[in-house]
Amino acid sequence: MKGKVTLLITLTILVISLTGCWNRRELTDLSIATAMGIDKSDDGYLVTAQIINPSEIAAQVPTTRTAVTSYRTTGATVFEALRKLTKESPRKIYMSHMRTIVFGEDLAKEGIAKTLDFISRDHEFRTDFYILVARGVKATEVLNILTPLEKIPANKIYYSLRMSEKAWAATHAVQLDELISKLVSKGDNPVLTGILIKGDPEKGKKLSNVEQVKPSTLLEIDSLAAFKKDKLVGWLDMVESIGFNHITGNVKSTLVAIPCPNGGKLAAELIRTKPNVKGRVEDGKPKINIDHFVEANIAETECAVDLSKTENIYKIEKTLANEIKSKMEKAVKRAQKDFKSDIFGFGEAIHRTDPKAWKELKEDWNKKFENLEVNIKVTVKIRRLGTIFNSLQKEIKE
Amino acid sequence: MKWKLFKSKNKYQAINRNIQMENINQSGPLKKTLKDNIKQVKEALGESSDIVTREFLIGEDGKIKLGLFYIEGLANTTFIQDIILKTLMIDIRKANLNTTAYSKKKAFEILRDFVLSVGNMKEIADFENLLTSLLSGDAIVLIDGYEQGFAIDSKGWEERGVTEPTSQTVVRGPKDSFSETLRTNISLIRRRIKDPSLWIETKQIGRRTKTDVAIVYIKGVASDKIVKEVRRRLDKIDIDGILESSYIEELIQDETYSFFPTVYNTERPDSVAAGLLEGRVAILVDGTPFVLLVPTLFVQYFQSSEDYYQRSDIGSLLRILRYLSFFIALLTPSLYIAVTTFHQEMLPTPLLISIAAQREGTPFPAFVEALMMEITFEILREAGIRMPRAVGPAISIVGALVLGEAAVKAGIVSPVMVIVVSITAISSFVSPTYNMAIAVRILRFLFMTLAATFGLFGIALGLIAMVLHLCSLRSFGIPYMAPMAPFIWNDQKDVIVRSPIWNMFSRPRLINQKNIIRQQSPSMAKPKPPQKKQ
Repeated sequence: MKGKVTLLITLTILVISLTGCWNRRELTDLSIATAMGIDKSDDGYLVTAQIINPSEIAAQVPTTRTAVTSYRTTGATVFEALRKLTKESPRKIYMSHMRTIVFGEDLAKEGIAKTLDFISRDHEFRTDFYILVARGVKATEVLNILTPLEKIPANKIYYSLRMSEKAWAATHAVQLDELISKLVSKGDNPVLTGILIKGDPEKGKKLSNVEQVKPSTLLEIDSLAAFKKDKLVGWLDMVESIGFNHITGNVKSTLVAIPCPNGGKLAAELIRTKPNVKGRVEDGKPKINIDHFVEANIAETECAVDLSKTENIYKIEKTLANEIKSKMEKAVKRAQKDFKSDIFGFGEAIHRTDPKAWKELKEDWNKKFENLEVNIKVTVKIRRLGTIFNSLQKEIKE
Repeated sequence: MKWKLFKSKNKYQAINRNIQMENINQSGPLKKTLKDNIKQVKEALGESSDIVTREFLIGEDGKIKLGLFYIEGLANTTFIQDIILKTLMIDIRKANLNTTAYSKKKAFEILRDFVLSVGNMKEIADFENLLTSLLSGDAIVLIDGYEQGFAIDSKGWEERGVTEPTSQTVVRGPKDSFSETLRTNISLIRRRIKDPSLWIETKQIGRRTKTDVAIVYIKGVASDKIVKEVRRRLDKIDIDGILESSYIEELIQDETYSFFPTVYNTERPDSVAAGLLEGRVAILVDGTPFVLLVPTLFVQYFQSSEDYYQRSDIGSLLRILRYLSFFIALLTPSLYIAVTTFHQEMLPTPLLISIAAQREGTPFPAFVEALMMEITFEILREAGIRMPRAVGPAISIVGALVLGEAAVKAGIVSPVMVIVVSITAISSFVSPTYNMAIAVRILRFLFMTLAATFGLFGIALGLIAMVLHLCSLRSFGIPYMAPMAPFIWNDQKDVIVRSPIWNMFSRPRLINQKNIIRQQSPSMAKPKPPQKKQ
């Protein structure tokens, strides 16, 4: 008995000590990458990794070093390029805390599917980062800009995108799982939000960029990039982006400015939107009906409208509905005419209502999408008028 | 194997010989003459200087010679002089104890029946009993020419009074605690349970110390099987000395090779009374304020007596807090090690960056750093307990400076490590019982090693092993993890939450099987709904 116990203890100790912590990584051995940029290059890909410099971020006293460093290298594949980065970086690049991945516009036009395989296959990636497209510039340039307020530029992109998605309807934050599921779906195509550099990219690289009250170079979240399969086919403008988000149900809160019934302007804050996209197949012809329900508050009036009268409220509701409807129609038109790509997922809507018909329709769906009949109906309800009743304009006039 | 057996046999023989040798002068019947008896007592005790011997004559004619022994310090001298000596030498001076008319036996009977006006008195006929009584503070009276005598209870030594408990304090609740004297301790329990079925069995354990050990239980509430088992285990003890109840605890516990205590100890009389009412058996040992309570369940270590003195919602929340701090004290350092060396992806990004920034420039791996800090803390803690009271502030200043400020400033440890160690330390003090806190203390280091080698996987393995071990434990035949494993629904009312007293109508199932009802009808008092006026 005693011998057995001793043997067991010895074996346990051996098992614990002989494994030797083989995949142990101390925090001080890691380069935490917060953003990755992928561009096209001559021999494959140009990969940029934005590495944070932890001691700078937590520094109590301002230093002259930057909070992030970007390393870049080229490789035949993304993975090769990433591994090659260790030649430049003193530590192993650690991908789990990636906040954003930026694709260069050139690469996006050629197709992004090949690079996505590595990103979704590798175990080190968490899939909670946002994916964007650099508009007009290379992704590597975007990652070189230092940003005010947020010390880590990748975080600035991440939070900007998240906040603008909530408060401003023209953007849409896309994560890896959504992107991939839209890529492989026959009746849907992905969109990604664009990002652009405002100002001189060269100046943005220097610490002096963030040493001024008004930085000379800024990163800005732009409107949406439409894809056909994995290829970028064009950019939606702001109005079309808002229309797109109305159709896909991504509008959380935004504002709509409309002319007043008797001149001047009025802004309504949308507080709840609920598009109901129904697909239908009539005589082999697919049809889409969108029943959009919107709740709004009056946010701002610059005209002497009498808000105490219900008929005025009804008028405003109607104008609002028309305004939103026109945005949605513009987005549909653009997608049908210019992109020839079903970015709204109408195909999936038909798939859901009529799976049998979809079997035939799904072949070459994007072609059929071009001539798809889309009926849009928007209902707006105004719920609240804010803390004052009538506009100041009206009070002054009286 | 062969020589081992041989050797152990030899050892036994040596022990037996030893026993025989030491008992030579200390047993056997009393001698006839007082002179011989005195001689033998003195011989047996090695002429120790604290023994008082007094020979005197009684009766009108002074024909009967008596001898009195007692031990100074153990016996109450005032009592002996005022009651025994005064009675024998003065009060019965005039009495006719004619030795010719009556035999010496008659004199013995008269003394017993009419003269000695004391309550607790024993007749003794042999040296073994005589010496035991003498050494426990009795006064011995022997009659010259007769081979029997009396042992008169005259115990009276210096003792510590009943003070506030030092190891288990409460805000609300009784503030008395057991002391070192068995009789006082029993009286503290009796005062709480005035039930004739509160039975007390006393026995002496320890060949040399002859320590009084009392088994206390409520007849009819405590399971007979368990009482019998306690008695059997106590009878089996053969040891030279019992100096503290921990000796008994180690000798009767079910499992020695376990970090988890399977015998509960407390110095609070109210805890013992509560345990007795639940059907447990208490073991009191003379010379220590710590009373054992069996059978013991794991959940008992999370129940403070204050839970029952505060409102049930407060009691429940505090208990949940205690479970929580058990896990914090057990796992925080190991989780920190596992997450920072294996699973960095599990942390939210801002937290990871903040930890990474703090770890920047620290020379040691997280495990070594944690180990260093934990050991430093254990040293401080041990020093805090053992050191003389007067140097206490010095230790705390040095400790706070070394642990907190200097180590961080010098860049040897990261500030987050100091936080981890501190929260662990504070959580380990939450446990209402000291010995469970120690179990957690030891296991923490095991978990740290596991975390450093296998990460979270190792912690999960360790937890599984720990739970398996806990489930395998028994305390006097009762599963240690009851009522969680085996799961007993009726007993859940006093495990995670402490339900209102009116809801605790039954005793814990496994501890007591025949008399489980505590309240015949729910005794909750609800005001009657207001009557409608007719």
